[in-house]
Amino acid sequence: MNESSPLVRLRDVHKRYGGVRALQGATLSAVGGEVHGLLGPNGSGKSTLGKVLAGSVRPDRADIAIAGSAVQIGSPRAAAKLGVSAVYQQLSLVEELSVSHNLVLGQEPGRVGFLSDRAAKAKARPILERLGPALGDVQADQPVRDLTPGQQQLVEIGKALLREPRILILDEATASLHRDQVQVVFDVVRELKEDGVCVLFVSHRLDEIMELCDRATILRSGETVAETVIDTVSPEEIVRLMVGDVQTVEREQEEPAEGPVRLAVRELSGKGLSDVAFEARAGEIVGLGGLQGQGQSELLSALFGATANSGSVSVDGRPVRLASPRSAAARGIALVPGDRGSQGTLPARPILENLTVASMRKRASFGFLRAARERAASQRMVDELSIKVGGLAEPVSSLSGGNAQKVVFGKWLLNEPDVILLDDPTKGVDIGAKSEIYRIIRGLARAGTTVIINSSEDRELVTLCDRVLVMFEGDIRAEIRGSEITEERLVQAALRIGEGTHGETTAESAT
Amino acid sequence: MNNLRRVVRDPLVIAALIAIALVVAGGIVSPGFASPDQIVNMLRVASFLGLIAIGQTLVVLSGGEGIDLSVGTVATLGAILASRTMAGDNAMLIPGVLLALVVAAAIGVTNGLGIVFLKIPPFVMTLGMLGVVSGLILVVTGGVADGRAAPALVHLVNGRLFFGIPGILIVWAALAVLVTLLLRRTTFGRQLYATGAGREAARLSGVPVNRVLITTYTLSSVFAALGGIAMVGYSQQVFLNLANDLTLPSIAAVIIGGTLVAGGVGGYLGSAIGAIVLTVLTSLLTTLSMPEWARIVVQGAVLIALLAVYGRQRRLRS
Repeated sequence: MNESSPLVRLRDVHKRYGGVRALQGATLSAVGGEVHGLLGPNGSGKSTLGKVLAGSVRPDRADIAIAGSAVQIGSPRAAAKLGVSAVYQQLSLVEELSVSHNLVLGQEPGRVGFLSDRAAKAKARPILERLGPALGDVQADQPVRDLTPGQQQLVEIGKALLREPRILILDEATASLHRDQVQVVFDVVRELKEDGVCVLFVSHRLDEIMELCDRATILRSGETVAETVIDTVSPEEIVRLMVGDVQTVEREQEEPAEGPVRLAVRELSGKGLSDVAFEARAGEIVGLGGLQGQGQSELLSALFGATANSGSVSVDGRPVRLASPRSAAARGIALVPGDRGSQGTLPARPILENLTVASMRKRASFGFLRAARERAASQRMVDELSIKVGGLAEPVSSLSGGNAQKVVFGKWLLNEPDVILLDDPTKGVDIGAKSEIYRIIRGLARAGTTVIINSSEDRELVTLCDRVLVMFEGDIRAEIRGSEITEERLVQAALRIGEGTHGETTAESAT
Repeated sequence: MNNLRRVVRDPLVIAALIAIALVVAGGIVSPGFASPDQIVNMLRVASFLGLIAIGQTLVVLSGGEGIDLSVGTVATLGAILASRTMAGDNAMLIPGVLLALVVAAAIGVTNGLGIVFLKIPPFVMTLGMLGVVSGLILVVTGGVADGRAAPALVHLVNGRLFFGIPGILIVWAALAVLVTLLLRRTTFGRQLYATGAGREAARLSGVPVNRVLITTYTLSSVFAALGGIAMVGYSQQVFLNLANDLTLPSIAAVIIGGTLVAGGVGGYLGSAIGAIVLTVLTSLLTTLSMPEWARIVVQGAVLIALLAVYGRQRRLRS
């Protein structure tokens, strides 16, 4: 490998999202004719780094060179001109258009603005033949909407191949594929490698990385911590590199909750969930671990009745009908949702209304509100949670992320919930506010509330939880308790779970 | 200083200043325009639009591109049903008004159900309803409008009840206070603002979003019918297109009043001032004997100019 002039070289890449540093000085260097893995725990910035190269994320600062010459990549179009193509798990297909039209989308053959169906098909044919073994009986003129998710993912890959990239980014592009389909994609990747293409491979499946990649760059908290040659390391060493020599996170050593079972979930199925069952005690903090997007948010939404689902849930032994958030709230369930701006707060409305909206009916008489009571209730929350506000009449949009999140907590605390569901409650929150939110969560548990928390940071689960349920593909696959909860165990559990069952749970007819 | 600047930039204050400026300008151009009599008369005419704009305000506040294009025809239908029932007889006044309000409520519930459960965009749903109601009017009247307002209704609108103030203005003022209380001091009001400011966040806070929306569209039709009934008290005779032309002004009044088009922010007081601005503007242009087309152009231009001014201060976020 010619280390002096890599095909891709990213250095000193910085990207902030609000108060969160997604990338802080990450580097990456890969040559033509190699498959280069990009690895890291949840929130380490591996996807963001790929997107910087693909032009879909604008870095705050970056030093990018392709084939030795410095470049600026301001848009996906600019990236395409430089020969960079990217495939993500989220598809960019137009469902109503045919397979061949999707493949040539953006580079349609034709004359003076008129499209030629025949030329489009001819252009798409070689790609379809190449992916044929995996695509099964897909026809070029079939609308993409009729394809299985796996087949659609393959079309997406085909679309990138058609652009004949010098650099191909595959970001979790195999996640929805069946094992046989993955092998076809791997064959294609190996051919590309022979042709001198540089493939950047982002996957959460460690076995795929081990099988396909030549080298790998490992990221942690937005920084590159190692670059390794895959043949020389063991999977265990890779996990250790991903987690790092972390100083053991200070765990608040409290007695494990011995209260009665408060929340019982049986056979809960729905969007992104299959047959989830677990119990949680009063005063217990239960974490939802695993790789991101394995059904953690969906589980919380389902428990709150926000999405359609089947199964049975009971609180303190009494069954809860999960028909709507309203009925869940009436049974003492609360949700701090993942997206503060659109789900947690009403940004344009005053802080007072945001704090009182979920509980005002309790204080109202015949539908009429008493201004003094409402003000007293919201002032109590502002004091208890030490929310820094200018005035209760100011809109929530005037608050910082941490204080806005405290308002969401306050809204539910006024309802005195028995079960509180937290979906990544400290996302985009600065360190100071984070520890105050931890204090609020511990206070809730001490008062007997059952806390179920999903987090994009493993460290957060280690800090807070009595127990972590590790999720994979919509189900709970493992459980880690008490002092066994460490970052290393969490990463290991998350990565290892997929190996044995790979492909089986997403089985679909590929032939 | 800062406070003063904030007050001057408040849409409500801007709209009120415009209304006063228009009256003063009218008084200069044509003596008698700003006379107490003339002002009372303009307010009387403004009240019909003002009543219809109550419902429109609630609908725009409810967000989700909330708009009710059926208010004009619903007002006309309400006026026709009420005046045919009363047929110039005081004894039938109450039954006539009740019939009109009940039918209007049924229309509003239908709008709400279509928007909530069939997920039809409000623009399309209420546009369709406009057509349906126009047809209903033809069925009910057979193409001939022959209702007459009860004398008591005429007296309420055209007479001067207290110290020279027409009763309809007192009704309007009372309803303005009630609606403002509804918005600010009841759970329904808070839920309406929440629904408009962020539908998903409202739903996840336990707000019965569907119920709020259906109630809102129902209230919109009911207030529209009320406006139509007031109008027939003014004209005494009913016409087949009595209030049809008030739909767009009712939306304009809400916007002039500073209610956020995206929903969730605003109130009725502004819409009431907006209704007055539009009415005074129309009579000023009439006094200047501007041709019809020029009046329409000026009204449209004023609306766009005001929106541009408001839009500068706060982004029309959705």
